[in-house]
Amino acid sequence: MPTEHSYADLLDLNSWIRKNSDAFYWQCTARTVQESKLFPVNPYIAMSYLNAWYRYPALFRKLERHMSAEELGDRAREVSSVANIITNGILTQFYLGGRQILIDMGMLKPTDALDDVMYVLDFAKRLNLSYHRNHAHTLPSDVNQRAQLLPERTVQVFDADAFTVRPGDRLHTAMGRFLAQISQYAFLSHCECRLGINNSGPYRIGDNAEMLVRDFVDLGEGDFPWLDGVASEVAHNNYTLPVVLKDTHFNIVDDWASFEATPAYDHDNTIAVGLYTSDYLSDGYLPVAMDNPATLADFLEHERDVLHRATSQLWTVMADWRREQLLDAGLLVYYSVAKDLFHIAGVYDQDEWMTIEDRAQRFKPLMNDEYGRDLIAELVGYISLSSQQGNDYVMSKWSGARGDMWSTIPYSVLADDEFTRTVGEPLSGSTSLPPKTSTWTTTQGRLTLPEVNERAKAMNPLTAQTPYRFLDDRWVKDHQGDPRAQELYRGSQAYSRLLAGKGAGLTRADIAALREADEQAHAAQPV
Amino acid sequence: MSEPGQPTEKWAKPAMTQTVEFFHSHVRQVVADRLAASGRSWEQAVAEPDLELSREDFEAVERKLLDTGYRYEMSAQISLAENPDKYRPLGRIKDTGTATQDGEGRTIVGTGANVFRVDKDVIGTARLVSTVETVMDMLVNGVPDDTIAIIDDSGGTLTAPILENFAGVVCMGGTVRSHLGILTREYGVPCLMDADLDGLHDGDRVEVEFTKPPADAYADNDPHARARIVKIV
Repeated sequence: MPTEHSYADLLDLNSWIRKNSDAFYWQCTARTVQESKLFPVNPYIAMSYLNAWYRYPALFRKLERHMSAEELGDRAREVSSVANIITNGILTQFYLGGRQILIDMGMLKPTDALDDVMYVLDFAKRLNLSYHRNHAHTLPSDVNQRAQLLPERTVQVFDADAFTVRPGDRLHTAMGRFLAQISQYAFLSHCECRLGINNSGPYRIGDNAEMLVRDFVDLGEGDFPWLDGVASEVAHNNYTLPVVLKDTHFNIVDDWASFEATPAYDHDNTIAVGLYTSDYLSDGYLPVAMDNPATLADFLEHERDVLHRATSQLWTVMADWRREQLLDAGLLVYYSVAKDLFHIAGVYDQDEWMTIEDRAQRFKPLMNDEYGRDLIAELVGYISLSSQQGNDYVMSKWSGARGDMWSTIPYSVLADDEFTRTVGEPLSGSTSLPPKTSTWTTTQGRLTLPEVNERAKAMNPLTAQTPYRFLDDRWVKDHQGDPRAQELYRGSQAYSRLLAGKGAGLTRADIAALREADEQAHAAQPV
Repeated sequence: MSEPGQPTEKWAKPAMTQTVEFFHSHVRQVVADRLAASGRSWEQAVAEPDLELSREDFEAVERKLLDTGYRYEMSAQISLAENPDKYRPLGRIKDTGTATQDGEGRTIVGTGANVFRVDKDVIGTARLVSTVETVMDMLVNGVPDDTIAIIDDSGGTLTAPILENFAGVVCMGGTVRSHLGILTREYGVPCLMDADLDGLHDGDRVEVEFTKPPADAYADNDPHARARIVKIV
């Protein structure tokens, strides 16, 4: 019996698969194959793809029984967490990567697990459409590598409350040193991958400046068991740093939330900074030590030292790991890109996200460094695997290759019965890493996992409530005096130093005037 | 290496690399043999637990490759340390004896892509930092002054606890957008990526042209614009 999916469904799905192929190719080839002397990076990437293939369908179906992909995208947009540009966008790539490896090994056909593929791809598309609602695209690559995620009410607060800095002043120096250290720590805590770092924007600030919103996530004791102990002093799990640079255009903020600037990013061009935290338990962004420039500099200097110590301690722990532990940790970071969606819905399960399914575990004997490196290079760079090849006339987007990264679904499934529906329910999993023992670092304090899930289920942020959920910037344009607009903006302004209670009618000129008045009032204060 | 399980579909071609071709062709063969022996259709067999390939099947495929005498190239140091019988020994920086000289008669021992521009070129001592043991030693005893770290991978984790203490970095891989490039830019540590070295030795005194314009990861950069590393006698 042919599939009940429609031709239109399949046309749309295959277009989305191909779009993922093209977008991922562009990203992957801007780097070389990743490598590390510490972590077997490419083997863990390949393993994460396989784990995603076997587990994502059932887990996402379970998730949507509690909260829809669209609502998850809406909620994720209001805070900074692991549910962000790179993770929301890349989960389809990992899933399709597992599928393609298995097709090339002859263990799958492109007509297999049809319902799973349709579902996972549709889930991801709805999630990203919702998450990127503010700029009305699905991925940053749709808009020539730009990611203006945030609505005016959030950017206005970041803009208004950012402290002016100049090269050589204490806050400017503290921010530069903090950014370097937190970047280093994020790479290490994420086992050499950049999933702990996320950027959005740019946002225009006047005539000659742009704001980049820089997020660093999953830094404290939380889902990753290897951060137990070493991260006990890290104050917040996620940090958001709006940074405003003059004379600098961020010409690229891409699907991996990486940025490029013209001229190159130079901290000396930074003219304003702020610091926030947020997560699935916060109702928006919470300022951190933003009372005045001195309190912020104090905090950044202190937290920089905390992160420096944590980096050394964590490196010492990891340098003592066995290869399988290094492999497992890295693959779990990659595979778990979707985990904070489950936190948002209050249904996070450590076993589902921090173990490797039995059907993925069996591939480990193949995962030596050379095979991992060459497999990933062929799969996402050279597009040279046999299963990826099209006919002799094919010229792929960007590469001009004779094939495409991810196989589409043959339309034959609409006419005959040669297909299968699913990989089935997940089997048990295991890991070579020590089990998690500590609490979770959240904006509501250090909590046990049952408490984390219970509080997440109880969360009902204003921006997720009807009708506020559907009041976007286009609606505000025609309703700035509407009481609902006022309430929505005042919600985002609740913790703002300069904007608390000011409502929806402010323009950028008003923000600039408020900043100038504030600076004049505090001009005599030493930093 | 024999390739028993060639794909049968149209437009097929072998993989580019040896290990991928060997592993995938052998796995295909195991799958085809098991399906044929089962007497079932593909759709009946594909998710049947009794027909699934097991860890032992993959171990057997790997054993076949190793039995040919093939040994893997390593990336992570731990891989060679735990399985010296499966991996090739580490390579060294090449020394062809054909290195050219700059206008001052100094030997050019390499070039690389500059991550960001600084005001002055950097003079220092080249020190090879490629093992966990070296990093641990520098973590415990401190990084010697004026160290220009010669690093043979583009990751940011091997040197994580000591990176900010280098006077400069020369990385023999990656691009300016690799993790090491990103991190050195954040720390303000001058860095060349994708360096091609010839005749450089651990302990050499070198000057590195970190004043060159930064390379563009998205453009085909002019090879003459690459920053040079020269040996100071």
